[in-house]
Amino acid sequence: MSTREVISTGNELAAIAAVDAGCRFFGGYPLTPSSEVMHVISDLLPKNGGTAIQMEDEIAGICCVIGAAMAGDRALTATSGPGVSLKAENLGLAQMAEVPLVLVNVMRGGPSTGLPTRVSQGDVLQAKNPSHGDYKSITLCAGSLAECYTETVRAFNLADRFMQPVIVLLDETIGHMHGKAVIPTAEAVEAAIVPRKSFDGPAEEYFPYECEADEPAVLNQMFTGYRYHFTGLHHDKNGFPTEEIETCRKLIQRLEDKVAMHEDELESYEEFMMDDADVMLVAYGSVSLAAKETIRNLRAEGIKAGLFRPITLWPSPATKMKEYTDKIKNVLVVELNIGQYHSEVQRATARLDIDGLFKVNGRAISPHEIAAKVKELY
Amino acid sequence: MSDSKLLMRFTGVGGQGVLLAGEIFAAAKIKTGGQGLKTATYTSQVRGGPTVVDIQLDDEEIYYPYAVDGDVDFMLSVAQMSYVLFKDGVKPGGTIVVDPNLVHPTEEDRKKWNIHEIPIITIAKEEVGNVITQSVVALAIANTMMNAIDKTALVDTMLSKVPAKVHEVNKKAYELGEKYAKEAMA
Repeated sequence: MSTREVISTGNELAAIAAVDAGCRFFGGYPLTPSSEVMHVISDLLPKNGGTAIQMEDEIAGICCVIGAAMAGDRALTATSGPGVSLKAENLGLAQMAEVPLVLVNVMRGGPSTGLPTRVSQGDVLQAKNPSHGDYKSITLCAGSLAECYTETVRAFNLADRFMQPVIVLLDETIGHMHGKAVIPTAEAVEAAIVPRKSFDGPAEEYFPYECEADEPAVLNQMFTGYRYHFTGLHHDKNGFPTEEIETCRKLIQRLEDKVAMHEDELESYEEFMMDDADVMLVAYGSVSLAAKETIRNLRAEGIKAGLFRPITLWPSPATKMKEYTDKIKNVLVVELNIGQYHSEVQRATARLDIDGLFKVNGRAISPHEIAAKVKELY
Repeated sequence: MSDSKLLMRFTGVGGQGVLLAGEIFAAAKIKTGGQGLKTATYTSQVRGGPTVVDIQLDDEEIYYPYAVDGDVDFMLSVAQMSYVLFKDGVKPGGTIVVDPNLVHPTEEDRKKWNIHEIPIITIAKEEVGNVITQSVVALAIANTMMNAIDKTALVDTMLSKVPAKVHEVNKKAYELGEKYAKEAMA
């Protein structure tokens, strides 16, 4: 894929990525530390045949994004944790009705309004289950400036493939840091877009929710002569509410299985100096940058440390993590929360002796802190 | 930390334009073939809260995006509150530039660090004639003292980020900053 070098911030790169990936609608409400995503895309979309709207609040922001997505557009909203809390109900609606959209969450301190300008990774479990009910979240997490671009692009492609919301997690550090990124050209991104599926047979034979047990709904673009009903209630093949026992079971099981049975299409991780590692760090987002610096320093002292970095956080790269933790005794999860992914690493690896280094005061974890913990433990 | 790394920290209060100065440094380093990264931390109090901008310039890939406390080579401060909060990040013997009208280092500080006093805000206000150019005066001082980046590359990058109508005044700000830095070092 041909590339270009840009000097930018993570938030700006996420906005540029959305437009390059074919996003033509943004609806949202500015929220620190995500506001620049909205600022930048508000400039870009009108120049690219799209629309950006600042709505009256975060709830209205995602509601109009759902509408735009149903009308056939690739659509984006961006916010931070408190905004995701407000959008939660409608994220559930989009899961249930199978509406593809992308949500960029630039994480800050929480709960509630928390620490608006400070860094955190406190929304990792929220991203897994923002709304009530059963469904399977797809959540991607950028660990570099370049990934703010590439993961946002991937999110749009996955949203259309799986017909559901896809969450891109940035954090305050990644979103605001300013430096060099080597990213694909807009032409290369455009060439790789796979449009969402549509039904082109006779309108009377169109049943959007009649699909294989592991496949998403096929929602034709609105206003093209294909009718269907849209609801958050359990629904039949036409989208009309139903309480028919088997139809209800199949629907919810399909929401799970359309993702669970295709995890190979979603799995993404980075292995950094893992070949000969006897200390394994697990970190994601901006913390992985501190972990890499730590590993560079520890190796200079003769300590063979490596990093396993999940990029797709949900579903987690469980099989690969277990493969490593079956071989490596010393495993330390480092994150800016009190163990939200640590519990997933424990589950995935069936090991309760996985160590953790956690921080929740709004400040980054430094390489010195990680190195000190490694030396204390191992 | 790699040997080629230079860590600079600009501290002030929100609204003084230190963020842009950091971006200019990082961008100029990248354009000359190196690695540059700017991060900032600030409070929810957008105007008036302590702000710190970390600038890392390196020939090798930069991973951790913040300057590690104790490793900072150069700090410039135009607010007492920020000076007190962030001075201990500077390594012993490192260089600190303060505006003497706003920041008052202790005698102990003067023994620990190489402290220069340059009235940055007054220079911008009275000699350049535009207080907004204080960030460019600061940029020039930092670059002159740390010999960080080729001057032409830095000035060109700076000019690319400000409107054409203020190019002359910003060039003047840079020259004055450089002059005062050279005098301070003499």
